[in-house]
Amino acid sequence: MIEIVETGPFNTVQDLGRPGYRDIGVSASGAMDPLAVRIGNILVGNDENAAAIEVQTFPLSLRFERRIVFAVTGADGNPHLDGTELISWCAYIAEPGQVLELKQPPRLARSYISVGGGLDIPVVMGSRSTSLRGSFGGNSGRSLAKGDRIAIGEDAEIVMLPAPGLAVVAPAVALRKVFPAPVDGALPIRALPAGEHDLFAGDGEAFWRQTWRISSRSDRTGYRLSGEPIKPTASVEMRSHGVVPGVIQVPPGGEPIVQMSDANTAGGYPKIAGVIECDLWRLGQARIGARLRFVRSTHSEARAVEQAVARYVDDVRQTSRMVKRALKAMK
Amino acid sequence: MSSIDFSDPATIAFLTDALTAAGVDGLEISRPGGQLRIVVAGNGGARISSAEATPHAPGSASAVVKAPMAGRFCVEHPAASAEPQNLPRSVSDADIVGFVGVGHILLPLRAGRSGVLTRLLAEPGALVGFGDPLVEIELPS
Repeated sequence: MIEIVETGPFNTVQDLGRPGYRDIGVSASGAMDPLAVRIGNILVGNDENAAAIEVQTFPLSLRFERRIVFAVTGADGNPHLDGTELISWCAYIAEPGQVLELKQPPRLARSYISVGGGLDIPVVMGSRSTSLRGSFGGNSGRSLAKGDRIAIGEDAEIVMLPAPGLAVVAPAVALRKVFPAPVDGALPIRALPAGEHDLFAGDGEAFWRQTWRISSRSDRTGYRLSGEPIKPTASVEMRSHGVVPGVIQVPPGGEPIVQMSDANTAGGYPKIAGVIECDLWRLGQARIGARLRFVRSTHSEARAVEQAVARYVDDVRQTSRMVKRALKAMK
Repeated sequence: MSSIDFSDPATIAFLTDALTAAGVDGLEISRPGGQLRIVVAGNGGARISSAEATPHAPGSASAVVKAPMAGRFCVEHPAASAEPQNLPRSVSDADIVGFVGVGHILLPLRAGRSGVLTRLLAEPGALVGFGDPLVEIELPS
């Protein structure tokens, strides 16, 4: 068991999501930074899709009731265990009674706590993710609260973890060639023009040219962007149609909305563009107030980024296994 | 005396092969700088352990952190945006004094002792072998 000692609002249990039920109005949910969850789970020896704790309001602290392997991935802050600073993107062993604390990270938005054996939570429609709007999944369908106790699955891998820990070169560093750094403080987010792009004519070009700011009216459902409004050349009445995370809609006010992990399943606003799936985690790590710019991408570029990410994850999976075995054999 | 480096993986591999070929169960070498023990297991696979003795320089004692396996020696976490850590600096036993990198995996190197990290014994970024000395920690007298 782990016990939540302190938490801000809207911290939830998430895995890689619940795809496949949009047709019956169920959002996919899942971590806002799925890459961090995959790597955290690999480090602690879990299946990549094991449930983790998504922390988006800080501080959060929890107590481990038994000996356990854990890793904190995602945001850039360093976690503390019983007051001792650790590094993120590193698996450690916690002893019973030790308290893990996550403070506000310096720049990024979301941290993930993975534990060996995963959070032992009932699977609903193929996922352990919390659906806040549907009030199901995860920790009783709601955010974590002080005093919550969460069961942990069996961990057969704990004996394999090297005593000093096992760390990884974080994706932002390892993949810096395919994920360009912010330019003049604006995070480049790649997107493809979507169905109604041409309705925006000149304003469509302004969409790509300007720097947008993530407004305070943003959450796991969607990011509302602030900037110079963009308008279609004619107002269009559209029937509601399917929407997925990454879709950028433009409501009548002219300030775009990017659908995120808890995306609506349908909507009727015109779609100007869609963020490529591989860039969604970077958006998930962008905080309210952060500035971003959309960069026109292509399907082949999106595919190339996807392949680079897959190679990185494969390398982390295989090398971590190899290193653990080699060190075990030398003991 | 010869100056064979018994912490060199190639030397260990060569010795292990030689022992296996000769049908010898194991070998133990003790020298002032450390100890190497190779035990040839019955059904393939040898067990190797090496331990460093603390070398004594006149007037001060120091400990050496060695590479737990072959890889690339990294002094800092690649994601660290912090300023480079200067030497000498105080470390406590649980502090991470560097990493051995294998692909994208990083093995943290713990100081193991409290003292003053005085110098690096390997070039940052260099490929190091199992048992190679990486950093020196001067122990409080």
